[in-house]
Amino acid sequence: MSEFSTRPVSDTPLRSDFGWRFAFAVAGAGFLTLLLAYAVVALLLQGTVLWGTNIPFVWGFDLINYVWWIGIANAASLFAVVLVLRKHGLRTSVNRFAEAAALAAVAAAAIYPILHLGRPWLFYWTFPYPATFQVWPNFRSTLVWDFWGIMSHVVVTGLFWYTGLIPDLGTMRDRAAAKGRRGVARIYGVVALGWRGSVRHWARHQAAYRIVAAMVLPMLVSAQTIVALEFATTLVPEWHQARVPLHIVATGIPSGLGVVLALAALLRGGLGLGHYIDDEDMHLLGKLTAAAALACGYVYAEGLLVALLEDQVTRQAIAARAFGAYAGLYWGGAVLVVLVPQLLWLPALRLRAIWVVPIGIGAAAGVWLDRFSLVTGGLLRDHLPRVGPLYAPTVPEWTLLAGSVGLFALLMLAFARFVPVVSMYETRHEESEADVP
Amino acid sequence: MTRPGPIGVIATFDDPDAMVAALRAAREAGWRRLDAYAPFPVPEAAALLGVNGARVAWIALAAGLFGAVLAYGTQWWLSVQAYPINIGGRPLHALPAFLPATTIVGILWAAAGALLGMLALNRLPRLHHPVFAAPGFGRASEDRFFVCLFTGDPGLGAWEARHLLNRHQPLSVAELEA
Repeated sequence: MSEFSTRPVSDTPLRSDFGWRFAFAVAGAGFLTLLLAYAVVALLLQGTVLWGTNIPFVWGFDLINYVWWIGIANAASLFAVVLVLRKHGLRTSVNRFAEAAALAAVAAAAIYPILHLGRPWLFYWTFPYPATFQVWPNFRSTLVWDFWGIMSHVVVTGLFWYTGLIPDLGTMRDRAAAKGRRGVARIYGVVALGWRGSVRHWARHQAAYRIVAAMVLPMLVSAQTIVALEFATTLVPEWHQARVPLHIVATGIPSGLGVVLALAALLRGGLGLGHYIDDEDMHLLGKLTAAAALACGYVYAEGLLVALLEDQVTRQAIAARAFGAYAGLYWGGAVLVVLVPQLLWLPALRLRAIWVVPIGIGAAAGVWLDRFSLVTGGLLRDHLPRVGPLYAPTVPEWTLLAGSVGLFALLMLAFARFVPVVSMYETRHEESEADVP
Repeated sequence: MTRPGPIGVIATFDDPDAMVAALRAAREAGWRRLDAYAPFPVPEAAALLGVNGARVAWIALAAGLFGAVLAYGTQWWLSVQAYPINIGGRPLHALPAFLPATTIVGILWAAAGALLGMLALNRLPRLHHPVFAAPGFGRASEDRFFVCLFTGDPGLGAWEARHLLNRHQPLSVAELEA
């Protein structure tokens, strides 16, 4: 067993010094997170007048970034779930931080729907209780679905991450104690809930972990679909289509896989975990991203081709989105999401961070452009002639986006700092071929 | 004053197969109060102790169904009974509109039920347990395997436990104090 020790993984969070590069990254992410706090306070004080949204562009960065982050969270979760349920060898390395990336992305996503309410401090009105004048929320509204969708997504993603983490937190406790760091050991011990590795506990733990993983699966489809249905249930011609949920779910996947791929490359290099996230893992992740991008190519082509069969209003709306004022967003998204990741079919490229990181981040950026194109390009042609300027994000909106990226980065850095980034018990288990119940 | 005897005897192994063999021998010798500790799931050992994940699954299923019924019931009761409002002439009892929240809340309850059910069946959280005092037990979460036989049943004392465990080439055998 000990020829494949997990000590380098467990001892990483116990290191006293992470080096100047880590400190630099934390400082950068912390600064951006402070910007987020600033943007939120400014928004609370002055309201959505700070944003560039106006009729007909009722939604802007709030929805663009929300849908984008949820897409990243979903694909990262989907990836982790598939690995857990299929008991693939790869899961020993990447499922844990894919889960963490999903959790951080959900946290970044969840701030937008609250902020875009206009009066964010009344967000609790969406809770199912009679908030004002004894009136309950309208349970036939998609907004109530949204409340349940986002809330459950946050909770279930967190449960998934934590359930898998419990035994590894037990390892952290024991390692910290062995190094004589009693205070740290106490903290890990409390969050490990007194895990002592009884084989009875393991049997139930594995069942629970798989059940939670299986529960994440429908959650992914439902969360993105509910967002998509909020578009589709409007009467805006470009949005009022049955393919919107498919488009949003399908294009979300390369964005999340791209982020996981980039994180894997960075962790390999940054934390020296090449032994745990090995070449095979990178090959599989790269191929998955390329395949998901290919599927998105199909979704894009289908969207354009089926548009030819639509009625005139819808056809014009789609043409306006693809060839109108926001055409650059549409095609920029298509290139970054569909075409560029095809480079990952080249095996030599998949192992080189200098290629993999930009391609992965590029896929995420491409999906962001796609969401931008959907939200604003979709509103270019409504039923009424448009008056007034095009939508362009204002500085406070950019600040909010930068801030949410900072929050995501800060959460990921904290994750790399305080918990093992690789599932240690799975790494140990890898050699044993016995099936778990 | 007499010192209370050991509550159990614990043996350390460096191999899961040795742990399973010792566990099987103990079961055959009639030990009923025993446990094994490993750094990763050993389903064979769990089967010897008669434990599997089925009860966790039943708890999750029951919790999920309860959550779904609760969500649907709440929506129905509030929309149809407690506060019926006519919005755009749509039916008060709107099955399609109630379904998303019903499924999502059911999933939420099932996932929480799986984790909480697992913890409850495992009697966790329990921050202290006598086995933590066993020498070298910290490596139960790394690369060592332990079998603990708890004494107390008639005819199954510390001497018998030591005798049985020593036959399986343990790295060490120690007595657990209460």
